[in-house]
Amino acid sequence: MRKLKFFTDIDKEEIWLNEMAKQGYQLTRKLLGYQFQQAQPENSVIKIDYRTFKRREDFEDYCALFEDSGWKHITGTKSSGYQYFKNINENQNEDIFSDADSKAGRYKRLSQMWITMATTFLPLFVVLMTTGSIKLSPIWNLKSLYYTPGLWEKTGASFLSAFLFETPFAIIRGFLWLFFPVLIVLYLIFAYRANRQYQKTNEGK
Amino acid sequence: MRDKNLPLTETVYYILLALIEPAHGYLIMQKVEELSGGQVRMAAGTLYGAVENLMKLRFIQPVRSEDSRRKVYAITETGMEMLRLDFERMNHMMQVTKEILR
Repeated sequence: MRKLKFFTDIDKEEIWLNEMAKQGYQLTRKLLGYQFQQAQPENSVIKIDYRTFKRREDFEDYCALFEDSGWKHITGTKSSGYQYFKNINENQNEDIFSDADSKAGRYKRLSQMWITMATTFLPLFVVLMTTGSIKLSPIWNLKSLYYTPGLWEKTGASFLSAFLFETPFAIIRGFLWLFFPVLIVLYLIFAYRANRQYQKTNEGK
Repeated sequence: MRDKNLPLTETVYYILLALIEPAHGYLIMQKVEELSGGQVRMAAGTLYGAVENLMKLRFIQPVRSEDSRRKVYAITETGMEMLRLDFERMNHMMQVTKEILR
């Protein structure tokens, strides 16, 4: 079973995944969405870390350390950031972090990733604007977004069908640029939220 | 003036002490627990971050490992010096406390 869901709060994501396991849905993979496998319902402890690795060996060493300490690496890759672990030794630790500092650290890394995303899109946006690849001026003259020759001279049904036919293309022509500022703002919101979670965790709340 | 990394935290102190003999991540966790008399029990994510940080500070370094998956670390000269300085600091605290509480 696949589920599409998005969390900015890692703690809430952990709770949801454990709730799914209780209902008999075992997480097997996370790419864009979550992939579950039908399994025996269980009280699992799933924990998430956020980390990327420069080298393959670093990632291997990281996974080995968690496995040695009783945490099975469920899903996550060298550069996926999100790393999912499941407790396989009930006598061992309840958490993958043993102090507030390191528990907060994962939110710090997450927040930095969102800021990096936002700051890579920003110059791209500026370049596309200054080179004229995207233009903001048609907003003031929506008619200029329609390319059909003689469209505005047509009347009645023939106007309506030609107008409606081109409208989706006109929207793409005129407003595709919005994609960039919307994405940048979204990334900044995620960064802000992760940073707030970082502060909250650091205060030991 | 005292080094800005001093005093060491309890976990850092024990990790450095454990790494006088080379060890990989999980072995460090076990040694820290043993050295602290069961008082300091580190979780995997916390230890990984602590090791990464000590590498950045060059208090520890990777050494040749037989194990292809697990990295093995050992204390450096700088780490040794830090350990010694912190030991002296604590020794001083013990002495003055003993004199006063006598």
